[in-house]
Amino acid sequence: MREFCHEQTAHCESGTLANLLKFQGLDISEPMAFGLGQGLFFAYVPFIRLNKLPLVTYRSTPGRLLEQTSRGLGLDLQMRKFRDQNESMRVLDNLVDQGIPVGLQTGIFWLPYIPRAYRFHFNAHNIVVYGREGDVYRVSDPVMPFTTTIARSDLQAARFARGALAPKGKLYYFTDGAASVSLADGVRQSLVYVAKQMCRVPFFLIGVRGMRFLAGRLEKWPQKLGDANARLHLGQVIRMQEEIGTGGAGFRLLYAAFLQECEEVLHDPCMGEFSSRLTEIGDQWRSFAAMAARICKDRRRDEDSFTHCGQLIRGCADREEQLFQDILAHLQA
Amino acid sequence: MKNLEQELCAKICEVCRLTGIDCSSVDRGGTLIGPESILGLDSLDAMEIVVLVQSDYGVRIGSEETSREILQSLTSLAEYIRVNSEG
Repeated sequence: MREFCHEQTAHCESGTLANLLKFQGLDISEPMAFGLGQGLFFAYVPFIRLNKLPLVTYRSTPGRLLEQTSRGLGLDLQMRKFRDQNESMRVLDNLVDQGIPVGLQTGIFWLPYIPRAYRFHFNAHNIVVYGREGDVYRVSDPVMPFTTTIARSDLQAARFARGALAPKGKLYYFTDGAASVSLADGVRQSLVYVAKQMCRVPFFLIGVRGMRFLAGRLEKWPQKLGDANARLHLGQVIRMQEEIGTGGAGFRLLYAAFLQECEEVLHDPCMGEFSSRLTEIGDQWRSFAAMAARICKDRRRDEDSFTHCGQLIRGCADREEQLFQDILAHLQA
Repeated sequence: MKNLEQELCAKICEVCRLTGIDCSSVDRGGTLIGPESILGLDSLDAMEIVVLVQSDYGVRIGSEETSREILQSLTSLAEYIRVNSEG
């Protein structure tokens, strides 16, 4: 029987995906899983509220990575949601008993192995269950350094957490079978899709347009919302959906690592150059995040202001627009 | 770079405007970020630390490495800088 190998990663969905693909015999890194899954994105959606603050996302919607990567490689990914909790646990048990590692969407608040201080109500946290002994399940949580275990009742509660993005018992697994699409073809399709999403979607909340819209709104927050509320909104922009310490830059740097790998996969040195450019853009996002953090913490330097934050975001938008247009022109030449 | 941990502690205290901390007696292996942080630092402070490390030591904490691990303690951060800094 093949052995499931746990590897700690920066993000749960790309990490779960990379670990499941490794079990299938595809040695794909987290950046490659993220890139193939068309994970890079930007949207500012002020009418959707998370913790009463407007939604900002730097990546695609939860679940998209899984679907796009399996589609891009021609792999058969089975995915199910359930109404009946007992039925969902029966299906999980049946798969795990066959030696099939199963990905699960869970509510992180209900996972007892996560230290209490780090739990919050986020219902799109991905883990893998890869074995069980009776009612104790073996868990690979990609954000944890080691594998762990969880009791059946706790796992069931996490799988049926309520609220935004409720998992509804969602599980997924790969059936046996080799990839029917070459990695190079899958990579090329994903590169084109992401580039179009970032710079050609004619909707003002998405891609580089969304960044510019956010910049304009952000500059007005102090007058419109007052200082305390403006700082809360700014904190949301940099805190949500990011790896600790990388606010805004994390997914740019992850995609830059993917572009670097593309250089080898496509035998195309231009990809290395694109990767370097995106790394520099990631650094600019990071400068914005550091400035925003100083404003939120009320330890501003002379140059720190909401206006300057807006300018930094506009700068990121301009550079990302140029980069993705260049990638499109290069691939479609 | 024998006292890199202590040097980092002092720089972190400066950028995060922490006062009254004796960096020579801080637990270098203690948790750096989060509710149990030895310096009382949170994820917003972490962003400033990442930028500080890049500007002062020329070391980027990128996405390939999990910054969670690197920023676990002063010891892990110093070790990362030692391994990745040029010269």
